[in-house]
Amino acid sequence: MENMKPDSKVMLRMTNIRKSFTGCEVLKGIDIEVKKGELLAIIGPSGSGKSTLLRCINMLETIDDGSIAIEGEYLAKEGAYVSGDKARKLLGRTGMVFQQFNLFPHMTVMENLLEAPMQVKEMKREEVLPLAKELLSKVGLSDRENYYPSQLSGGQQQRVAIARALAMKPDIMLFDEPTSALDPELTGEVLKTMRELAAERMTMVVVTHEMAFAREAASKVIFMADGNIVEQGSPNEFFDHPKEERTKAFLRNML
Amino acid sequence: MENLVHTVVLMLEGTRVTLEIFFITLLLALPIGLLASLGRLSKFRPLSLFMEFYIWIMRGTPLMLQLLFVYFALPMIGVMLPDIAAALLAFTLNYAAYFAEIFRSGIQSIPKGQYEAAKTLGMTYPMTMRRIILPQVIRIVLPPVSNETINLVKDTSLIYILAMNDLLRVARTIVQREFDMTPFVVAAVFYLAMTFVLTWLFKKLEAYYGKYET
Repeated sequence: MENMKPDSKVMLRMTNIRKSFTGCEVLKGIDIEVKKGELLAIIGPSGSGKSTLLRCINMLETIDDGSIAIEGEYLAKEGAYVSGDKARKLLGRTGMVFQQFNLFPHMTVMENLLEAPMQVKEMKREEVLPLAKELLSKVGLSDRENYYPSQLSGGQQQRVAIARALAMKPDIMLFDEPTSALDPELTGEVLKTMRELAAERMTMVVVTHEMAFAREAASKVIFMADGNIVEQGSPNEFFDHPKEERTKAFLRNML
Repeated sequence: MENLVHTVVLMLEGTRVTLEIFFITLLLALPIGLLASLGRLSKFRPLSLFMEFYIWIMRGTPLMLQLLFVYFALPMIGVMLPDIAAALLAFTLNYAAYFAEIFRSGIQSIPKGQYEAAKTLGMTYPMTMRRIILPQVIRIVLPPVSNETINLVKDTSLIYILAMNDLLRVARTIVQREFDMTPFVVAAVFYLAMTFVLTWLFKKLEAYYGKYET
């Protein structure tokens, strides 16, 4: 168990994050910290701001106030973002997996994986190919490299999406309800891939409704409601001994 | 019989003018239309308003009027254009406006998630447009572009008012001279042949760009 303990290196720190959409405050001063190798699970009812919080990490949404630091370097400090180039460099350390997969439909599985390394990092096809093949075999889709996304099941598409994000060699992987758009029998294969990733000590932030997954795979669980963190703790504390009434009510409904 | 051969030869010459207008207009209007659609979608308000205005004028007035304006009104303010250039200017500006609207709706139909995925992979906006968005837009806009292109073949006949000897004008001239309706029939066959080739070509293109759909 010793090697399962996270390093002390802080990979992601968000402090006092505030965000409003047309007058409605959806994040009311959130603080989170994720250490290297940790899997942070963010759960909560819909509309609690958990997806917005995740999307603030990689600038799909912009914060109104607060600071974001990735591996100790500021992406945003007290509400102000660093310049474009610096921001792009920092964002390159994160990878994102979406609820709707968002694979590029006009490209084959392999082309989806090669696209960003070849275009953004300007690597040659031969340079990326070994990594891409390795990632596809890791997610169990080596035999599908020439398929188009529309020819794959939702679960397979999501595994390709994970491989595509990993092809950019991110330090932190962000998952925005990765199994919410999947049939129940397909969520298992995606969660298995995520568990394997966690076992390799990838730093992960996962917004999810899968309580069983959060309980067993997370190093820390955060429960959000109405733009606030209501409760956080280790999966055991959180699921077995929730302190807040709001948490207890939520868990009663979910389990 | 000899007469018919002569008619056809004359009309082939007219067809050359028609095709010239057609191809040059298409070649200019497609890229200009694409740029206009990007301008129309720009977050820079003056640019998008200007494009909206341009599209409104071009779609809101008859192409015939635009041709007459370029041909007769521009010289009055000192802009003299050769016949063919005047025709091409009017056709290009008009068709670019229609293409701009087609491209705009195509671009807007691409889900936001595609932009987000590209962004999280570190792709810049131009890279995203070129590699991710436009290849998908092509597939979506092919049917309406095909429609407009076929319209253009027929709209080229409007230049008969500019005293240019396109297919229709040649046909009409022969009909008036010989009191024989055959040239009209021949003209119809020529137009049909051109639109047939275009229909076939666009069908091929749709199959090619749609190969990722099941």
